[in-house]
Amino acid sequence: MFQRFQANLLAMADNLRLAMGTFLGNPLRTLLTLLGIVIGVTTVIVMMALIEGLRLKVNNDLSQLGANTFEVSKWPSGFGRVNWRMYARRKNLTLEDMRAIQEFCPSVGVVSASDTSGGQKISSSTIETRPGVQVTGATSEYINTSGITVAAGRFFSPVEAVDGRQVAVVGLDVADTLFPGMEPLGQQLRIKGRPFTVVGVLQRRGSFLGMVSMDNVLIVPMRSYEMVYGEVDSVEVAVQAREPELLDKAKEEVTNLMRRRRDVAPLAPNDFEVHTNESMTQTFNSLSQVITIASFGVCLLSLIVGGIGILNIMLVSVTERTKEIGIRKALGARRFRILAQFATEAVMMSLLGGAIGVGLGFGLAFLSRWVLGFNTVVPGWAVVLSLVMSSGVGLVFGIYPAARAARLDPVEAMRSE
Amino acid sequence: MSQVNGAGSPRLIDVQDVTRVFHVGGEEVRALRGVSFGISRGEWVAIIGQSGSGKSTLMNVLGCLDTPSSGRYMLNNKDVSHMTDDELAVVRNEEIGFIFQTFQLLPKETALSNVELPLVYRGMRAKERRERARAALAKVHLEHRMHHRPNELSGGQRQRVAIARALVAEPSMLLADEPTGNLDSATGEEIVRLFEELHRAGNTLVLVTHEPKLAARCPRAIRLSDGEIVADGPGRQVALGDLHAPPAQAAGGS
Ligand SMILES: Nc1ncnc2c1ncn2[C@@H]1O[C@H](COP(=O)(O)OP(=O)(O)O)[C@@H](O)[C@H]1O
Ligand SMILES: [Mg+2]
Repeated sequence: MFQRFQANLLAMADNLRLAMGTFLGNPLRTLLTLLGIVIGVTTVIVMMALIEGLRLKVNNDLSQLGANTFEVSKWPSGFGRVNWRMYARRKNLTLEDMRAIQEFCPSVGVVSASDTSGGQKISSSTIETRPGVQVTGATSEYINTSGITVAAGRFFSPVEAVDGRQVAVVGLDVADTLFPGMEPLGQQLRIKGRPFTVVGVLQRRGSFLGMVSMDNVLIVPMRSYEMVYGEVDSVEVAVQAREPELLDKAKEEVTNLMRRRRDVAPLAPNDFEVHTNESMTQTFNSLSQVITIASFGVCLLSLIVGGIGILNIMLVSVTERTKEIGIRKALGARRFRILAQFATEAVMMSLLGGAIGVGLGFGLAFLSRWVLGFNTVVPGWAVVLSLVMSSGVGLVFGIYPAARAARLDPVEAMRSE
Repeated sequence: MSQVNGAGSPRLIDVQDVTRVFHVGGEEVRALRGVSFGISRGEWVAIIGQSGSGKSTLMNVLGCLDTPSSGRYMLNNKDVSHMTDDELAVVRNEEIGFIFQTFQLLPKETALSNVELPLVYRGMRAKERRERARAALAKVHLEHRMHHRPNELSGGQRQRVAIARALVAEPSMLLADEPTGNLDSATGEEIVRLFEELHRAGNTLVLVTHEPKLAARCPRAIRLSDGEIVADGPGRQVALGDLHAPPAQAAGGS
């Protein structure tokens, strides 16, 4: 029993030693064959690194919102508004709603309201930005509920907000574009021709997915915003619980209040949305799951392509090495031993492809940090799964050529050249 | 290791009425038409005959690379006539040392690794394997070349590597198919001397050849013609028709 085990180990060691035979016979051909597997694994590693990095960043960004903050909105959160019309028919949220929340919900600390218009052009006396600035109109409490920080100057005051003063807090991209090399504080800018004075500059927040800068923003008092863009239909209300422990209670109070104010029938579902960090994270996670599954699908496809490559190169290898197989069989190699030799070889080759893919994936993920502006993180399970999948492909596609090798007749095999 | 020393029968090989029929495109080619003979331990037997007479077919059957279509082949008291592929592989590994006309060495492995190969399939540890392979190479006077690959060796040296490989696992018999066929006469002579040495050391040798001069040097020869044994006796007598040759030393013949 033990001897048998020992013999198996010895056989395995010998097969491992022989496993690079095909590769060493023609390294370039082998590498080209492995391309499918390499591409598949690289794709998965890079995608997983992006998603994992993004997940960490999103979780981090969301937690900056404050653990005790949630949002009330007419719109569902997430990516792409499905069934837009259904939500559009809902009653709007107003500044009155915000005030009511402030007044009637004892667990609530700070409440703010805001509305945002994307794709705006902002101009100074000499320069105009490209139409990509996000302009937000907000109440003065916004500074406490949104997770932003003022780096220089100040946020606008409650008085300025109530009066609808023409003051603006700008993101760094806007400041750099409009006032290059100048101190932005005190400068004048125009939104749709209306003049605003810069009173504050926001701290840098970086970019989302390396494409949308989160510093290309501008925040003005809600009333001034309405003077520019007209009355806001439905505001987003951000609510901060007095204490982190009161978050659930605050949510309950706000939900009940809103249902009453909006005349929702007792058993009917809410006609408004409550977004928490959790629900945003959940939305993101379900999205990233879709991407994960999709990229494994892509990977599986390339692995199958790679597997066919393995099948092909192993068949060629068995043909080229028929004589060797004949000699081995004549000298006493049993079928399984030959089968194992070639199957090991196929697995090792595809594993090599997988390893190259993992290496390339790490490299690309690392390089993409500079392009994307956030840290990519290759999750360990993705590495393990890629390697397991590629060796599995080697086994599945290598077994047929190996079985052919094992069945060769030694006399005929030795006669081949 | 089971070195069954033919306790029951003195004969290492006992071939009874063996035939081998090939089917080539619906036609039957009867390569062996019922041959019977025995070979005892320590014998040196040449198998001669014209091309196509069935020498290689017989050699493949004797070497357990092929099985008879009918008849019985006992090797070392084991009936190997109906064994499976894997059973035959084990018998080949334990009982037979092959020496081929074209050497059949693995081109990418060194002389030493080539010689180790039968021991690899016996499941022996690398260290012991290497020691035995080195000793076998010493027996064929090639110890100084053990780290060379076949393409760095002369024809005679390659054949000596093959002989070392045949010897290394201490088989019951050595089977050589035209071992000097690819060598010049001087080198061939070297190899034949080596066979004589091995014969004196007690090895059982079966040598397939079409050269009467070589067969004449063997104590016993079997002549095949058209798949049948037509002569079995002292080498010189069977190979050269020399009636004054000394009689074969062991009881062979059918
Ligand atoms: N694998 C095979 N398939 C069909 N016919 C074969 C095969 N091997 C040998 N033969 C035939 O059997 C006969 C004996 O061949 P062989 O044993 O090779 O003779 P020798 O070695 O004496 O030249 C020949 O007619 C040959 O054509
Ligand atoms: Mg022949």
